[in-house]
Formats: sequence, structure tokens, C-alpha cells
Amino acid sequence: MKHAILRGIHGRGWLRACVVMGCLAAWAAAAEKHVKPDQSDPYRAQRERMVSQDIAKGDLWGRQAVKDVKVLAAMRKVLRHEFVPREIRDQAYADRPLPIGYGQTISQPYIVASMTELLQPKPEHKALEIGAGSGYQAAVLAELVKEVYTIEIVPELSRRAEETLKRLRYDNVTVKTGDGYHGWPEHAPFDLIIVTAAAAHIPPPLVEQLKPGGRMVIPVGPPMQVQQLMILEKREDGSIRQRSVMPVRFVPLTRAPGGE
Amino acid sequence: MKRFSIHAAVFCISAAGIAQQVALTRIFSIAQWHHFAYMIISIAMLGFGAGGSALALFRHRISGRERALLAVALPVFALSLPASYALSQRIPFETFQLATQPVQFAWLFALYAVLAVPFLLLSVSLTLAFMQHTGGVGQLYCANMVGSGAGAAATVALLHLAHPQYAPSLIAAAAIAGWLLACGVGARHVVVAVGAAGAAVWAVFVPIRVSEYKGLSYAMQFPDARIVTEAVGPLAVITAVRSEMIRESPGQIAYSYPWSEKGAMPEQIGLFFDAGGVSPVHRFDGDLSRFAYLDCVTAALPYHLLDKPDTLVIGAGGGTDVLAALWHGAPRVTAVEVNPDVFRLMREHPEIREFSGAIYELPQVTPVIADGRGHVQADAQRHDLIQIALLDAFNAAAAGVHALNESYLYTVEAITLYLERLQPGGMIAITRWLKTPPRDSLKMFATAVAACERAGRGPAAERLAFIRSWNTGTIVITESPLTDTQIAAARRFSEERGFDLCYLPGMREDEGNRFTVLEDPVHYRFAKTLLFGDRESAQRDALFYLRPATDDKPYFFRFFKWTSLPRLVRAMGAQWAPFVEWGYITLAATLVQGAVASAVFILVPLLTLARRPAVRRAKRWVIVYFAGLGLAYMLLEIAFIQRLMLFLAYPVYAVAVALTGFLVFSGLGSLFAHHCYAWRSPRLRAPRLVLGAVIAIAIIAALYGAFLPAVFRAAIAWPDFVKIPIGLLLIAPLAFAMGIPFPAGLQKAADSDDALLPWAWGINGCASVAGASLATLIAVHLGFKAIMIAAVAVYVLAAWAIYRLDHTLEIAATGNSAT
Repeated sequence: MKHAILRGIHGRGWLRACVVMGCLAAWAAAAEKHVKPDQSDPYRAQRERMVSQDIAKGDLWGRQAVKDVKVLAAMRKVLRHEFVPREIRDQAYADRPLPIGYGQTISQPYIVASMTELLQPKPEHKALEIGAGSGYQAAVLAELVKEVYTIEIVPELSRRAEETLKRLRYDNVTVKTGDGYHGWPEHAPFDLIIVTAAAAHIPPPLVEQLKPGGRMVIPVGPPMQVQQLMILEKREDGSIRQRSVMPVRFVPLTRAPGGE
Repeated sequence: MKRFSIHAAVFCISAAGIAQQVALTRIFSIAQWHHFAYMIISIAMLGFGAGGSALALFRHRISGRERALLAVALPVFALSLPASYALSQRIPFETFQLATQPVQFAWLFALYAVLAVPFLLLSVSLTLAFMQHTGGVGQLYCANMVGSGAGAAATVALLHLAHPQYAPSLIAAAAIAGWLLACGVGARHVVVAVGAAGAAVWAVFVPIRVSEYKGLSYAMQFPDARIVTEAVGPLAVITAVRSEMIRESPGQIAYSYPWSEKGAMPEQIGLFFDAGGVSPVHRFDGDLSRFAYLDCVTAALPYHLLDKPDTLVIGAGGGTDVLAALWHGAPRVTAVEVNPDVFRLMREHPEIREFSGAIYELPQVTPVIADGRGHVQADAQRHDLIQIALLDAFNAAAAGVHALNESYLYTVEAITLYLERLQPGGMIAITRWLKTPPRDSLKMFATAVAACERAGRGPAAERLAFIRSWNTGTIVITESPLTDTQIAAARRFSEERGFDLCYLPGMREDEGNRFTVLEDPVHYRFAKTLLFGDRESAQRDALFYLRPATDDKPYFFRFFKWTSLPRLVRAMGAQWAPFVEWGYITLAATLVQGAVASAVFILVPLLTLARRPAVRRAKRWVIVYFAGLGLAYMLLEIAFIQRLMLFLAYPVYAVAVALTGFLVFSGLGSLFAHHCYAWRSPRLRAPRLVLGAVIAIAIIAALYGAFLPAVFRAAIAWPDFVKIPIGLLLIAPLAFAMGIPFPAGLQKAADSDDALLPWAWGINGCASVAGASLATLIAVHLGFKAIMIAAVAVYVLAAWAIYRLDHTLEIAATGNSAT
């Protein structure tokens, strides 16, 4: 194909080649408008491999497999490469975080799937995300819950995430540029809150905006590195219990002391 | 060329070379992280080695044209100082993206290449100067050493006045002076000087390219972020940023804190140190009620065990812990801060002073500019509470960038000292960020247990409390056993705020994992094993290095164990990398790279040199002698600098004093060697001179090993103007003796065959810089005493090598004259 086009350009048939390329571009644009990943998506196989090998499968070292079929289906469906900068798109489905500029990252697929599973999303839920970043996590959640509200502090990232989400027809996601520290009181309380920015403390206003019985998940750790997950649960009486879940289970630090 | 001119030129360019190295270390601490200091060392070494090696290789083409080449090399060196800095800041290298973008390796390589150029040119210039004056090696070496010493001292002074961004341009001026001194002033010199000046001016306007993953970069993305001011100092560049979105707290605020009722956290100005770690300055108008949130972090525990304690805050920074002490009713707060620029900003900058309510000028607050340990050691005053704050940034702590920072603040000896400075019933509270998997707080606890046992005032198990939130751990060490009321208060404090107990006398296991539930309550189990179980096996089996830090091995932040690496890799699969300390890995990589590069730079010139009879016979001894000297010199120098840090209690001055002292007195030693050589007395032949020097070094090192700690302890409380001369006096005899062997050997080699000179120079350069990495590595694993012993052993080996070298060269000379 490529050779044919090149020959066309250099030879007499350059006009025909332009027509062919124009048709290709129009077809691509049409395909983008009506997203049908099965037909037009060259990354489908990679995405399938990502889900089956990196997410749905545990490993010998104690990494827990993500089992929730709905979450797995969402991970299969969302076009991760669309949220990744063009120059590193070929790495979109590798199981690692990738830079998206402004010191922010798109989390590694396994972490996204784990966090989503830990949130236990239901179709009637309303979710809040702090730190939209690329918009990928919001897209995954949008496949699983009724409404997603996401806040991003960097205007350029916020705009980019909103455009991508709009283009991919995630109409149940609302993006706002702003300070996520105060949450989004106008839409509170939320069933689920996900914080994707590592901070020295979990903002107390977010804990307040969590519905009793709701869950919050926070990945803890520096950017571009493996993060530990924290789940915070608000009980019906308003009390908080949190638990630390690691993306990989660590070997015990010390031998069990005698007598224990 | 006049003798004076060449000596002055060598002095100037040596000063410029070391100044560039120090300036680059500061620049890359700001641009990336401070473990790049080791990268700069390795870059300097590459440049040095390559320069010496190249001259040795092309010696036959250079011979007789040294002066002309020097006249070219010097201006290019001057030009390259600012130009290489400016170009390096255009290279989009990003440490954190090495794992995802292979192109980053290319950028890293480009960075190495660009930054190595000035060092290569410096090496070439110095070697050419030596080749031009083979009869006066000792004098030139003296100029080289004294120049380097002066350069080190001048750079510290320069960094007080100018932003590191301007340093390469200012350093270029010294290099131009060196060039003009060496080559005189002519019309074409003026043209080149204008070119160098142009490059310098260009570099002045090239800002440091700060990584987008650093705290300052994040803060500047806030829409309302505004830089209030910037303070420049040799310890750090402090950038004060004001934004309503800066909200730093000393750890997680308890969820029970009634946020809606008590109101939000007061507005803050963030003080960013070297664009990284942040210390917040709170808006304070005299109303302490807005700081109730400071009672809802783990660090507030001691205030619930003591009643309105007289408090010493170590690492006062922007004043958060001072406010916490005042909120809890402390009648007197002594705030110790190592960086004088912090207090200067807080007291003298109108906006920050007004914003902070002039907190350091309140009658109950006494600000002290000093290193925490040094202040406690020097000041006999006793306190009810010594509060050691979270001194480093959350992310920096997690990334392990401090692995190779000596910290005399957290050693067994330090905590024993703090215990001595407590009022009866008083306590020390140390708060650390928690890492994943846990290590910081566990090592701190192990250190606290060892200190309690050493201080010997009752069992450690009755004098310790340890609690955690999800991201901070606070350890309380008491002067006397905790009372039942205090134990109950600690339990109530933790329960109400949702903090877990890690250790408290009489606690139950189920209290150790209630609020932030871990898969394995590691903190509780480790603490219990240390106090009541098989301590040795707990340490041996731990995934990380958790043995107490001591003054001999003051590397609190080093957790990496080589023996654990296979377990880490097994446990983490491909993701083991983030769990090791990158400072440590960088150092190890620097050493490996240094060893490989040294081998290349040492062996490649042999391709042409080996044809010469003197070289053919003596090559092995030349390598052993000059590499041994380079290595041993650095080992002793670094060991001494580390010791002096504790004594002078102010790291930058310690380094400046030690470096200057060593280089200047070694310079005088080499002058002495030159004169001995000039007398041509058979009793003062090179091997004898070297042997004498090595015996002196061994005796002085042994004496220092035995008595230095006692001397330092006795004199630590004396004022700086007395301590600095004492430090220099202690350095003088050792450095003087250490300055003798190199020029003595070099002169011997040059007299036999002047082709040996650039080669020997290169060998010594390579080994010196590799020695710097090796010294730190030995210190981390075996302690300072081990470095001293290793250095003396290498000196003894060198003494033996010079006898062999002398013998071989004599035979070669006899052979030559016979033919």
C-alpha cells in the first residue's frame, strides 16, 4: 500500500494517490466519530493482551488478579492509546505508568483496574475523581457508573482530557478545571471518590463529601513509580476505616517473632 | 614564559575547574535531585581521564608545541565553562522517564558529553603546563593544589552571593584570567576574550531547567501561583511561592478533625528548597485558634504526654512545629534551623514577615541558626521536649534520594546526647514519613532502642511509644519510664484521631492494626521483636538494612541491602527498581563506570607508550603507584571531611574548610617535595621521601583514629572562629604529608622519560575521582574507620611501588646509557 502510494506520488498517478489518501482520511474521521473499536482499532490485540496478561492474571509473586468481569470489560473497551501522547502511543498498553506532561502520568493499567475494582462501582453510583490527568480513569469509570465528575488543576490537561472524553462520546463525564482539594460540593455527596494525585494528606473536605457507606481509593507514592493503594471506607455512623492494599504483595519484612 | 605566569595560570584554571564542579553539583541538585552530585564527579573524571589519555596518546605530535597548544586550550576552556552549562540546560533529560522513553538514555549520554568538555580541556591545559615545565613539577603541583583549594573556598563564598545559574559565567572570568596570565595580552587574545565573554553573558540568561516532577514545578502550575522571592545560599536556593492551593501539613490530619466547624487550614507560602522539598509558612495574625489541625497529626503526641513543655524544635523551617508548640501552650520554644536564609526571609522580607506574623520575633520564640545536633551538643540547656520535625519532602523520602546523605541527627550517639539534654521526665519526639514497604520508621525505632540501652536509664521497653497514621510515624523516647497516666493519654490520643499504635508499653496486638489496616502489622511486630524477641535474626532477615545508624556509619537513609536484591526482584518482578535507594544505585553505577573508564584511559595510551623502554619496564609500577596515590588521597580526604562535618556542625563550611585545608596544605607538601628534589641529596631521593611521608601519614591517621572523637567532643561547644582554625590545624600535618608522594613520583617519572608525565597524571586523575565514590561506598557499608585503614594500606602499597618504580627506571636508564 505504502509503496503504491509512493509510486503514485512520484509518478503520474499522484492525483489518484491524493484521492486515495483523502478517502482514507475521511474514512478515519468517520471511524473516529462512530467509535467501533472492533473494526477500526489497531490496538485491539494489545489491549486484549493487556487485560488477559497484566490485569486478569495474578502472578507467582502474589500480585492479585483483577476478577470483576465488569471492570475487565471496561478495561477492554476503553481506548487507552487515545489518552496517551502520540509519541509514546506504541507503549500505551505496556503495564507501566506513562508521562503525559506537566509532571503528571497516566497510571499503569493494572493500577487503574485495581483501583476501579476496589471502588466496587455500581451502575447507579455517582463518582468524583480528583486529578483527571489524561481522562483515562474517568473513561473507565464512566463505563461502570451513572455519573463521573472529574477535576483537574492543570488547565491544559483538563482541556485535553475533556476533548478526548468528548471525542470518545463519554457523555456522562463532567470535567472541571480547578482545585480538587475542596471536592465538588455542588454535586456532593458521592458514592465513590478516587484521588489520583499523591499528597501529604487526604483533603478532609473530600472525606466530608463521601456518602456514608461510600468508598474512596487513593494511590500513594511518587509519580512514575509503583504506588500503594489506600481504601478509605465511611461507615454508616460516619466513622472512617482505611486499609492499605499494595499492588504487589511484599515478602514479609521480618520473621514472625517467637511466641506469636 | 615566566615562571610566575605559568604558576598563576595553573592556580586560576585549577580554581575554575573545581568551582565548575561545585557549581554543577548545585545546579543539578536544583534541576534534578542531589544524587546527581555523583554524576558530576563521574563526568569530571571522564573529562580528566580522557584529557590525560589523549595527550599521552598523541605526545609525539605535541612535543615542542606545548606552549602554542596551551594558548589555544586555555581560551577554549574558558569559553566551554558557560557554554557547556547553557547547552546542558537545553537537553530535555528527565530521570523519571528513563524507564519509559529509551530516548532519555541518549539525552543522558548527551548531558555527559556536553558537561565533560570543560573538564577535558582543563585536564589538557594542566597536562600541557606540566609538560612545558617538566623541571618544576612540584611547584606546579603546588599551584594546582592551592588553586583548587582557593577555588573551593571561593565557590562557597560565590554561592552566598549569586544564583548557581550565574556561576559558570563568573567562573569563566577566572579561567580567562588564567589564560591571559599564561599567554600575555595581544590583539587576537582580545577577540577570543570577547567571544568567551559573549558565551558567559549568554549563559547568564539561561535558567536552570527544573524537572517537571519537582515540587516547585507542580506548585507553579497552580493558576494563582506567584513567586514571592528567591533566596540564594550555598545550602539551597529557596523559592517562596504563594498560592491558595499550597496546603502542606506535617502528615495526615485526623479524619475526626471538625473541618467545617474549625475552618480550613490557614493560607500558606511554600518555601521550596532547591525546587524540591517544601516547608510551609502559615498565615498567622496572632490568633492560634486556627491551628487546631496541628493537634490532629501524629507529631502532636508528646504534647498530650507533657504539660506545656519547654520545647526545642530541630528543623524549624517555615515554623509549622513552632506554631504547634505554641498552640499546645509551650512557654518557650527554641527553634533551630540550619539554613540562615530561612530566618532571613522570615524576618526581613516584608511580605513573608507580615504574612507569618513575624513568628520568629515573638518573645517566647528563640531562633537559633545551627545544625540541630551541633546546637544540642554545644548548648547545655535542658528542655522538656525535643521535637525533630519531618525534615524532608514526602516524595523525596519515598524516592530514596537521601540514601547517601550523612545525617548525624539520627544516630545512636545523637539520640543519647538528646536524652542528656532533657529535663527530668522530658522526651524526644521524632516524626518520619512512612515508606512502602516500611523501613524509615523501623530503622528509627531500632536506633531509638539502641540509644535507650546505651543511655541506660531503665529498660527501653518502658521508655518508648510509637504511633502511625497512613503516612507518618512518630516515635517518642522518654528520659524516664512512661507513667500509667501517660500511657493512657497516648492510647486516648491515638484512638480519638484514628492513629494506630505500633508500640506502647503493655499494648495488645489487636491495637496495632485498627484504623489504617495493613496486610501485615509490620511496625508492631518489628518493634516487639526488637524489644523482646530475637533481635539479630529480625535484622538479618529484614528486607532492608534496618540496623541503627551510628556516628561511624551515619547513613540513616540507606536501606538497601545487596543480599536482599534477589528477594526484591523476586517479590516485585519488573518493578523492584522504585524500592531501592536511587542515590545508592547512582553511586554504585558511578563507581562501575569509573572503573571501566579508568581502565580504558589508563590502558589505551599504552598502545603507543609501551614502545618506549622506560615505559615498557616500569608501566606496572607507574599504574600501581599513581592509581594508589589517587585512591588513598581521596579516601583519607573524604573520611576527614565527614568527621569534620560533625565537629563544625555546618556541612557547607565543613566541606569548604576541609577541602581548602587539604588542598592548600598538600600544595605546601608538594612544594617541600620540590625543594627536596632540587637539593639532589641522595638521602632525599623520591622513594625515601615517599616512605617518610607514608610513615607520617600512617602515624597521624592512627593518632586521629584514636583521639579525634575525644578532641572534637571537648571542643565542640567552642565558637566557630576557634573551631575552624582547630580544624585547619588538625588537617595541616596530614595534608602536608599527603602532598609529598605525588609530585615526588611524578618528577621521578618525568626525569626518566617525559612521556610518562601525562600518562601518570591521567592515571592519578582517574583514580582520585573513582576514590571519591569508593570512599562513600566503604563508609556506607563499613564505616569511617574502615576508610582510614584502607587508605593507609593503599599508601603503604604505593610506597612499595615507588621503590620498585625507582629500581626499574634506574635499570632502564642504565640500559639506555649503555646502548
